[in-house]
Amino acid sequence: MSGSEGHDTTIRGWAVDPGAEREGAAEVEVRGGTLERLTWLSGAAADGFAADGVLILPGLVDFHAHFREPGNEDAETVASGLAAAAHGGFTAVALMPNTTPTLDEPSVLGQVRAAAAASGSPIRVLAHGAVTVGRKGETLSAMGELADAGVVGFSDDGASVRSATILRNALAYAGALGLPIVDHPEDLALTEGAEASEGYVATVLGLKGWPVAGEAGSVARSIAVLADVVRDVPGARLHLTHLSTAASFDHVRAAKIAGLPVTCDVTPHHLALTDEWIAGARRWAWEALDGDGRARDPWAEGALAAGLYDTSLRVNPPLRSAEDAAACRAALRDGTADAIATDHAPHTEVDKHVEFGWAVNGISGIETALSVVLAAVGAGELPLAAAVALLTTGPARLLGARGGVAPGLRAGEPANLVVVDAGAVWTVDAASLASKGKNTPLLGRALPGVVRLVLANGRVAYAGG
Amino acid sequence: MAAPPEAPVHWTHRHLLDVDGLTRPDIELVMRTADEMHDVLARPIPKVPALRGLGVTILFYEASTRTRVSFEVAAKNLSADVVNIAAASSSVSKGESLIDTVRTVEALGADMLVMRHSVSGAPYLAADIFSGSVLNGGDGWHAHPSQALLDLYTLRSRLPGGSLEGRKVVILGDALHSRVARSNVWTLTAMGADLWICGPSTLLRGFEAWATRGASGRRFTVTSDVDAALRDADVVMALRIQKERMASGLLPSLREYAARYGLTSERLRAAKPDAIVMHPGPMNEGVEIAADVAAGPHSVVTDQVHNGVAVRMALLYLLAGTRRTEAGA
Repeated sequence: MSGSEGHDTTIRGWAVDPGAEREGAAEVEVRGGTLERLTWLSGAAADGFAADGVLILPGLVDFHAHFREPGNEDAETVASGLAAAAHGGFTAVALMPNTTPTLDEPSVLGQVRAAAAASGSPIRVLAHGAVTVGRKGETLSAMGELADAGVVGFSDDGASVRSATILRNALAYAGALGLPIVDHPEDLALTEGAEASEGYVATVLGLKGWPVAGEAGSVARSIAVLADVVRDVPGARLHLTHLSTAASFDHVRAAKIAGLPVTCDVTPHHLALTDEWIAGARRWAWEALDGDGRARDPWAEGALAAGLYDTSLRVNPPLRSAEDAAACRAALRDGTADAIATDHAPHTEVDKHVEFGWAVNGISGIETALSVVLAAVGAGELPLAAAVALLTTGPARLLGARGGVAPGLRAGEPANLVVVDAGAVWTVDAASLASKGKNTPLLGRALPGVVRLVLANGRVAYAGG
Repeated sequence: MAAPPEAPVHWTHRHLLDVDGLTRPDIELVMRTADEMHDVLARPIPKVPALRGLGVTILFYEASTRTRVSFEVAAKNLSADVVNIAAASSSVSKGESLIDTVRTVEALGADMLVMRHSVSGAPYLAADIFSGSVLNGGDGWHAHPSQALLDLYTLRSRLPGGSLEGRKVVILGDALHSRVARSNVWTLTAMGADLWICGPSTLLRGFEAWATRGASGRRFTVTSDVDAALRDADVVMALRIQKERMASGLLPSLREYAARYGLTSERLRAAKPDAIVMHPGPMNEGVEIAADVAAGPHSVVTDQVHNGVAVRMALLYLLAGTRRTEAGA
């Protein structure tokens, strides 16, 4: 639901503004779509507002989402994806180019933009261009033209840039354009036929393992290539998307200390869920650790609450052990990870409701992202301000000036904000999801954080809850 | 010989998809029921009307002789109406989904579905949408409940005192790809065996983590040292090694496997003098097991096949019993 005119409203709640490094009870006035005034409240006026109640946040920014149009509109369209994004509290989304045809030249970007305009959604739609033509990994896409047309980066996501030579050339070429290469790190030789993260759960369930080296090895390779490129192209930048293992974060941490221009993001499902869900467990990742930080045994503890082999849990990279999920949260806390990005991957029932090993990978996550992060915040895993930054200013920084996204609650600017009641609970069900993709393992689960209002560019993107 | 026992009040599982969730009383009940069925098989006409009027559809997505026929014989011995579908010759080869296949089979009158599939977890998907009982006849690398239970039944009939407590049981071979090994881990540890899993290290991948955590509250041992494994073993269960394992680079050659891990009579000498030799079949004689060992005095392979029918009759009977219980019969 979106209004065509600038919205008027006055909201009181617990505002969190990472850009201003400030949070607290506040009143926000919006007139004609412009955020006219933000007043921080104190004394009696501040009573009743707290970090576990109604929150006022800058509109969330998603660095990595799949809206499937053109080519796979049964799974999602730009319009349904934007409706889902709005329901999730997002006011800016960067789309991945693995559409059909691939977004490897400007005309396809034009199609996506036209679909966004036709939807009437006020959400800002950005796009990554493909690194290679058709994402085949053989020749560079029309990077210059795509840059001129306004892409925010280049990615062959869904696949890694397999050839180190192509990666090297892409980093150099894109670096001179001022844009990052967004790599999906995966060594296909190690992950061929893999169904679940290599480890205890995969062993017991008889699933082919996805070794840590399948991701960490590719991360190390890409960082090494970047190190060579920056000598010639100081503007080169590598972004590693949806990292999921402690070993990967160790590589990124070391690279950052060495001053290399590398960034990375983590998905909500990798920080909050684990591979034990495939065995039927349904506890959060932080509940699946013992006092020594080791993964607990779901079989020994009778922690199996649901059916096994739920294909909504099949994702690339796979859900990992509780230790790796903890490493994701540690990376988010210590700055190794720059953002939380949803990797929203909607799929049709037909593609998902099959045998586990044959199901396509992907979790429809843009509508549950904020709630999952609030669950982690509520459990003490992330401070609220840091969590909000990872969903707003963090991704905005990755999008750079080209993205033109500056999350904040600043007076005099068009309002981009989300009002979410952290103390209220909603139950995820197919009917309540705006996305066509109902492939989320959180179906049936009650989550904290009911989105009440989303203003994007001064207009209503979502109102309800 | 008395008729089979009345509808059991203790068996509550509508499906049998794995053995992880079976309690010791569950296992004992299967053993006792299999004993009754074993007696039925000894009759001139080895049939009872227990499942008369029930449709049992056997749906195998993978080639099999022994298990598929064993289930068919078991179901017929219980007087069920049996339909046997080999996926390759069905619409599955035209791309019909598992969900549609199960729905079709149900619409055609199946009350029980015995399934084998190459993908781990497939029977759980079937169980989600099938209103009757699903019996897993083997899914990918994951589980083969009826095999583990017939292995247990065979051991109890052969071991002194019928007990596995403290007995050294060695599973020898390709554990990584083996649903037989995985299901046996659960049943053997549940019954108190001192379990060892032995094979080339590439084929033991992942099992060390399981062994140290244990199953059924009991740890087990994983080793690539075949001499240590076989020393004083009470039971050696050899697993089939497939040629494909060389193609995927896991092993240098079958020749090397046979030389280093093949169960020959020489290797068997390290085990106890009255050690039992098992194999789920089909056997690659001369590779994982020498021909003379397979046919020799230690081998209970033919018992396993015969017991398989009795155990499968027991399982079909118990599962059908949940249906009768639900119907209030």
